[in-house]
Amino acid sequence: MALAAEYEVAGWAEAVETYFERGWTDGLPVVPATADAVRRFLDAAGRAPGEVVLTEPTRRRSITAEKIAINAVLAGCRPEYMPVLLAALDAMADPAFTLHGAITSTGGSATLVVVNGPIRPRLGFNAGGNVFGPGWRANATIGRAIRLVTLNCLGAQPGLLDRSTQGHPGKYSYCIAELEEENPWEPLHVDRGLPRGASAVTVFAAEGPHNVLSHYGETADAIIVALADTMACLGSFSPGQSFVVLAPEHVRILARDGWTKPRLREALYAGARRTRADLKRGGKLEGAVAPADEAAWVHRGGGPEDIHLVVAGGGAGGHSAFIPSWSRERNSLAVTREIR
Amino acid sequence: MTLKILDPTVSADEAAAVAVAKRVTDLDGKVLGLLHNGKVNGERLLEHVREQLAARYRLRDVVIVRKASASRVADDADLDRLARECDAVVTAIGD
Repeated sequence: MALAAEYEVAGWAEAVETYFERGWTDGLPVVPATADAVRRFLDAAGRAPGEVVLTEPTRRRSITAEKIAINAVLAGCRPEYMPVLLAALDAMADPAFTLHGAITSTGGSATLVVVNGPIRPRLGFNAGGNVFGPGWRANATIGRAIRLVTLNCLGAQPGLLDRSTQGHPGKYSYCIAELEEENPWEPLHVDRGLPRGASAVTVFAAEGPHNVLSHYGETADAIIVALADTMACLGSFSPGQSFVVLAPEHVRILARDGWTKPRLREALYAGARRTRADLKRGGKLEGAVAPADEAAWVHRGGGPEDIHLVVAGGGAGGHSAFIPSWSRERNSLAVTREIR
Repeated sequence: MTLKILDPTVSADEAAAVAVAKRVTDLDGKVLGLLHNGKVNGERLLEHVREQLAARYRLRDVVIVRKASASRVADDADLDRLARECDAVVTAIGD
């Protein structure tokens, strides 16, 4: 017996249209959520329908396991995706993430979800070619389920609570897995303090990925110049955190040339900087440019530890990605949770 | 064949109830709080509100508080101060 309100409709096609008519979709058709389907999802998660699994800290809206399961069905998830979705939502409810700000701000962020550990092959996550693109059910539907929860359960409807000036396509779905097999260093979840054998999600309120093309240098130095320059771009410049998703080709060159993760973080932090004069000229800081501003350097982030490094992407191509934080200050940080 | 489908939404009335403060009927002799959200122009908007209310009422005092950041909720200490010192509070974004 479902706790949620039920609506009787004439058939499957009418059910799809009913979800549109009531404003319960992201603009794409959803899979109608029947009581049977929702029960299978709750069973897979080992949760009771009325169990509160997420409380948004600012508006104190509590969401039950049943509502999460309904939205997971709508998104096209499989029941076994539920633990990943629940871990991601739990991470988003951490005060460090600033959920209410992230889903309502003019900045228009989406929740980047990075999946690590043995659950990746088990659920069929893509960590390889076209990692940010379409084609893999686990990536596509878990990212979509998070958006549907923010729309349907947290009130972040466009134009109502979601006041994004532009938003970005990751707001439909923004879920990747790390290609740990091509990572010569520790994977993200180990950096974040979990054992290597654990499965984990890391969430980050993020802008879209900025492509970092570096084909011809074929040295670590060339790749680092291109990465740091992209991270210093004025539009996204802030004291916020960064994700850098390294292509396998780039990470192979970096490892070949003797680079380690800590050293790479330091080099990127050192290189991703602008003068106060630039920041003022670009409207990033208030006030007129003073002579001393021309030689006063400001770095992106609070230190090298604010740069999170992940490996993902196809085997061919020198395309990495820089993903800036939504937060222009230090109000929203990456949060990691083990998937249990 | 008919189908029964489930409502995916959580409505506001399911949220934890919070008691609303006692309403004031006028501001004569009262302390007005102004909570600036932290966005550009919020201060301007609140200053305009202060001018309008000061023209209409004999305000005893005005307490101005600025949030540390627009993205985050107001600090407990600021909210406690507004609750303790003010009879009414106006907040603004002014984005």
